[in-house]
Amino acid sequence: MSTHAPSAARSAPFMSLSAQRGVLGAVLLIALWEGLARGLKLPTYTLPAVSQIFISIWDQRNVLVGAAGVTVAEALVGYALGALIGIGGAVWVSMQPRVRGFVLPSATAFNSVPVIAWSPLVLLWFGTGMASKFVMVALAISFTLFLSALSGLDRVDRRSVDLMRSFGAGRLAVLWRLRLPTALPLIFAGLRVATARSVLIAVVTEMLGANAGLGLLIYQAVVQVDFVQVWGAVFVASAASLTFFGIVSAIERKIVFWK
Amino acid sequence: MSALPVVSASPVARPATATRASGSAAAGWSKALRVVFALVAVAVAWEAAVVVFSIKPHYLPRLSLVLQAIAATPDAYVSGFLRTLAESLIGFASGALFGVGIGIVFFRVPVLRDMIFPIFIVSQTIPVIAFGALVVLWFGNTLLAKAIIAFYVTFFPVTVNTLLGLRSVDPRQEALMKSFGATRGQLMRQLQLPTALPQIFVALRLGASLSLVGAIVGEWFGDTTGLGVLLLQAMFNENAVGLWAALLMCALLGTLFYGVVAWVERRLVFWGAEQ
Repeated sequence: MSTHAPSAARSAPFMSLSAQRGVLGAVLLIALWEGLARGLKLPTYTLPAVSQIFISIWDQRNVLVGAAGVTVAEALVGYALGALIGIGGAVWVSMQPRVRGFVLPSATAFNSVPVIAWSPLVLLWFGTGMASKFVMVALAISFTLFLSALSGLDRVDRRSVDLMRSFGAGRLAVLWRLRLPTALPLIFAGLRVATARSVLIAVVTEMLGANAGLGLLIYQAVVQVDFVQVWGAVFVASAASLTFFGIVSAIERKIVFWK
Repeated sequence: MSALPVVSASPVARPATATRASGSAAAGWSKALRVVFALVAVAVAWEAAVVVFSIKPHYLPRLSLVLQAIAATPDAYVSGFLRTLAESLIGFASGALFGVGIGIVFFRVPVLRDMIFPIFIVSQTIPVIAFGALVVLWFGNTLLAKAIIAFYVTFFPVTVNTLLGLRSVDPRQEALMKSFGATRGQLMRQLQLPTALPQIFVALRLGASLSLVGAIVGEWFGDTTGLGVLLLQAMFNENAVGLWAALLMCALLGTLFYGVVAWVERRLVFWGAEQ
């Protein structure tokens, strides 16, 4: 953050200036929303008031927490699978320069197909249970991570590799001590983007076919024209992905401390 | 700005830049030939794998069957293709313009950036499907509603990368231009925007695929034409051939869209993206 508050520098500032402005922006938005919805007496299918949504979330908390649990579990398992496949694939390609010319164009081509288009097929193959969501999330995440990890691994300075080699380091040592640390910032950038994506893909796939989860809840609420419920489920889904995002960012700051 | 979900430095390979130095017609032809060869190889492998391993059509139908299905009812696929293309193109274009514009505004007015940017970030965690439900409700089941969904998924990465690119300008170059009396507009047009252009195009390439996702998902709320509709209908009928046919069309559209953006990028950012 470039704009710190110099005025609050006497003691440890509670919040930076930009954070204060951020809070102000959020408060203004909520006030505007509430004011519009109540002042213009908008019908709930157009825009329910924020307070109304929160009351509904509290009333429906058991249903929502249960559904969110399913969705988060799907997103997490898929995320872990996708991260393993993506980063593993990138390491493999960077160690085997010969497969690169074949793998990279195919990955790019595959990636230009909208991921979401696969979900009807995946549902047909794996059924409406959780397995299809694991597969979809893993599919979506692995390509993001493959590409960002690979561009990170490629950043390594050729001379550093030569130096380590000249001291007798093996390929694994070069990978572990040089390539991976160099790639970490980009890998984490990919991991961060992937958090929101994983929840999103899980919800979207659930909407097309599922036995439980936030996506199913949203779909049912849309069909029943219960838009307060839709907004409630949307809020919960956003909260889940924001939390996930926050956790991964915190881990990133611990591990990539030099950035 | 460490907490942003930044679409970081080009995660996507740009194979064409390597050959630009020897950018003769011969190199171009041999490249095109290789692409055709790869496509044919994939097609043959697909067809052969299904026959040799006797894969059930439920999982993977033969490519020839899929192509026959498209050839049998070309109208549905062509009109679906054009409809989805229109939706995602309108959404992409408006999202790109808005994203660059708001990125410049945020760069110029830090107060607005601090106030609104976090809201943008939160807005992107809203599952597009839920947002889509509301948009379709507000605007009806129209082309506009789908374009808005495509816009919504496109503008954010463009905003982030525009801001990022504008901030990466070397302050010494800025000082030099100012010392020659450059106005703010000149500074923006001649230094800041060109510097940000490579970053902006990284986001545009991403936005091209995202806008397509937005359009397809938007169609799932009950439209009558479009590739998303074809996908959904095939799923409900458990028609694997139809599903693969629609997938092929999606792939074609996605690759085409991405290819055009990448081509424009090579034209405009002729000096190459410095990573």
